Amino acid sequence: MADTKYETPMLDELESGPWPSFIKELKKVAPRKPMVQDLLGQLEQSYEEGQGHWKHGGIVGVMGYGGGVIGRYSDLADKFTNCAHFHTIRVNQPAGWFYTSKALRTICDIWERHGSGLTNMHGSTGDIVLLGTTTSELEPTFAELTANGFDLGGSGSDMRTPSCCVGKARCEWACYDTMALTYDLTQSFQDALHRPAFPYKFKIKSAGCPNDCVASIARADLSIIGTWRDDIRVDQEGVKAYEKAGLNIERDVCGRCPARCMEYSGKLMIDNRACVHCMHCINAMPKALRPGVDTGATILIGSKAPIVQGALLSSVLVPFMKIEPPYQELKDLIEKMWEWRDENGKSRERIGELIQRMGMRNFLPAVGLEPNPDMVFHPRANPYVFYDEYFVAEEEGEAQA
Amino acid sequence: MAKPTIDEIANAMFDMVSQYDGKKNLKAGDLTKAMIAQYGEGNCTKDECKQAIRILMDSGRCVYSYFGGSFISLPKTEGSAPQ
Amino acid sequence: MTTQPAKRITDIGPPHYDQMLHPVIKENYGKWKYHETLKPGVLCHVSETGQKIYSVRAGSPRLLSIDTIRWYADLADKYCKGYLRFTSRNNVEFLLDDPKLIDPLIAELNQNGFPVGGTNNAISNIVHTQGWVHCHSSATDASGIVKSVMDELHPYFISEKLPAKCRVALACCLNMCGAVHCSDIAILGIHRRPPKPKHDILGKTCEIPTVVASCPTGAIRPATVDGKQSVEIVEAQCMYCANCYTVCPSLPMNDPLNDGISIWVGGKVSNARSAPAFSKLAIPFIPNNPPRWPEVVEAVKNIVEVWAKHARKFERIGEWIDRIGWKRFFELTGIEFTKHHIDDFKHAGLTYHTSAHLRF
Repeated sequence: MADTKYETPMLDELESGPWPSFIKELKKVAPRKPMVQDLLGQLEQSYEEGQGHWKHGGIVGVMGYGGGVIGRYSDLADKFTNCAHFHTIRVNQPAGWFYTSKALRTICDIWERHGSGLTNMHGSTGDIVLLGTTTSELEPTFAELTANGFDLGGSGSDMRTPSCCVGKARCEWACYDTMALTYDLTQSFQDALHRPAFPYKFKIKSAGCPNDCVASIARADLSIIGTWRDDIRVDQEGVKAYEKAGLNIERDVCGRCPARCMEYSGKLMIDNRACVHCMHCINAMPKALRPGVDTGATILIGSKAPIVQGALLSSVLVPFMKIEPPYQELKDLIEKMWEWRDENGKSRERIGELIQRMGMRNFLPAVGLEPNPDMVFHPRANPYVFYDEYFVAEEEGEAQA
Repeated sequence: MAKPTIDEIANAMFDMVSQYDGKKNLKAGDLTKAMIAQYGEGNCTKDECKQAIRILMDSGRCVYSYFGGSFISLPKTEGSAPQ
Repeated sequence: MTTQPAKRITDIGPPHYDQMLHPVIKENYGKWKYHETLKPGVLCHVSETGQKIYSVRAGSPRLLSIDTIRWYADLADKYCKGYLRFTSRNNVEFLLDDPKLIDPLIAELNQNGFPVGGTNNAISNIVHTQGWVHCHSSATDASGIVKSVMDELHPYFISEKLPAKCRVALACCLNMCGAVHCSDIAILGIHRRPPKPKHDILGKTCEIPTVVASCPTGAIRPATVDGKQSVEIVEAQCMYCANCYTVCPSLPMNDPLNDGISIWVGGKVSNARSAPAFSKLAIPFIPNNPPRWPEVVEAVKNIVEVWAKHARKFERIGEWIDRIGWKRFFELTGIEFTKHHIDDFKHAGLTYHTSAHLRF
């Protein structure tokens, strides 16, 4: 305990057990970081009282930027003076969260000089999160980050840092190059990322296949989910090998297919026109089955957490789009939806909520898309329908004229 | 109305932010819509408004702020920090 | 230090990922053919070219000190030619081209208290939020509960003995920074008392029309209190979402007597088999009990174990419940079904059971 300023008996209980301890992480840097000593003190008090002690507000960026910094202040600043300021810096991660040891050390050295030495690898949106610094350290941190090839991520009413799954770098199921797309979108929309100009945030996540390892359908306003439209590639010998190894293919693969589009009797027969591209059979037999070769992505729109009007999952906007450089079709679509949302959106209203408020009948023409049965589970069941025009009888028209 | 320069748009935006300071928080979209209304659609584009906001920010005359969403404000002494 | 200010660099974006890729990955980018699991936490991806890359996945507390990250970098230098990555569930993955180095790496990770696992039918790391370490709106802590729950679920992290994947997530308030609302098991911090307006400063610190408009249930009205412009809360209409607090700090929600945890089950984001789905309410409230939240740990463990015992192969929690029905879920888990389980927000009627298909 000599290394820390405060007794922390409750937190100390979180050092034992088989899972890595975040308290141990705090204590690793506490001896040389007074900010973290006070953080431990304040956290112990939160544990005693059952409540947090942070306030938001104020700082949101470095000079010229409106995103990337989360201002955070202690409401016990008189007592825990060293963590009176405890701002977060979001640093845009390399796509796929790949690093060299050198790049990681660069980040660590910058954060050693300018911050608490605490991080999240990574935040929920995907950024490297540098946790805890003072206002006066924001500009020097930013200068060192950019000098070393890193830039800030998003926050507030901007395009949030796009993120993606591992994609073609290390996954055989990637139906498009998620990392290349994410890098391209991030670079193309730097201004939208750093200078909040939207009614509210906009998140983009790219998943290479319908397994959706980045939860894009739940966490992104724009969900780009890889898929294919030709036939699943089958290695019949490989299928047999799974059967030999003990997999009950009829019950656990065919029987769990949501489209019931496959049968097995020594040979796997797939009705590919009926397949809904769920990935189950491919997940179950990765050495025998592969997605097809005519690949691209389904574009979905609108997911969000509950605040304000309730949680939404993204829904289908474009059933299939080829995702290839320079990604012009996708970028045009994104810019059109931003424009429509800028025109019509309210503060704190996500695009999914805006579409619910104004209707797909207003949204689709604005982004230049035609209605498509893939957009709905089923056609409307209620007979209250908006029609844009109605006929006027000739004599009625004359009477009015 | 004559077509304003980007600097003139920036100045008009700054006046608006100053006028509403402490009364109403303005978003980038609010300023843009107000400028287009003021100068007319042919004389002032969204892109020019974007450039004008950038001039205000890069010069430090205005700053971004956050109140459950991003707004454009006058620089303040640090909001919640102890004096 | 030079007195001349350096030229300001902006809008450069992140480093290109190309600089960060292991040579084997770079060479086989887009050429991967299949993968197999060598043991829990160890994947082998095989390329069309025949080359292989081995991934060793280790659990992480997410809140990492730079000391630990530097140690990761040392391990990457020692075993992986300096290349590593992180996963969407905050694990670290070491990327090796030499299979002989896998076991020594695992040994070194384990010696230092970092478990290897989290692949396939394991319980991977709990995606979570900041809690009392950093957040202004949290109704509970995040890291402390995650640590306590993962200590208990650790045997399921280092093995793959469950019927299917089980994704656990935690959010310390309804803002849900994380896919909590679509998790097999979601641990969610909740407030249960309406905000207490600070009438003396509210009119000065917040825009009253914005505050009124922020409420999804229309529970906030403008009011003059002791001669000051403020708002009143129609308490019977408040559902404690805290959106008003996010737009107005003069409406604090934190209340140790009433804040706590709720548990939600059966959500998923993957399209495999069943469609992506929201998690549904299992346990409406468990009081905060730091430092180890034993009641929450027990509740999560119980749900995992009842599911593991009764589910069929490949059935995730939501798919299992779809088959057996919610009534049976509450019977088997011993969780009480209460009025709080029946929705009363927008579209609540869509969740009512409009059929006579019942199990007895």
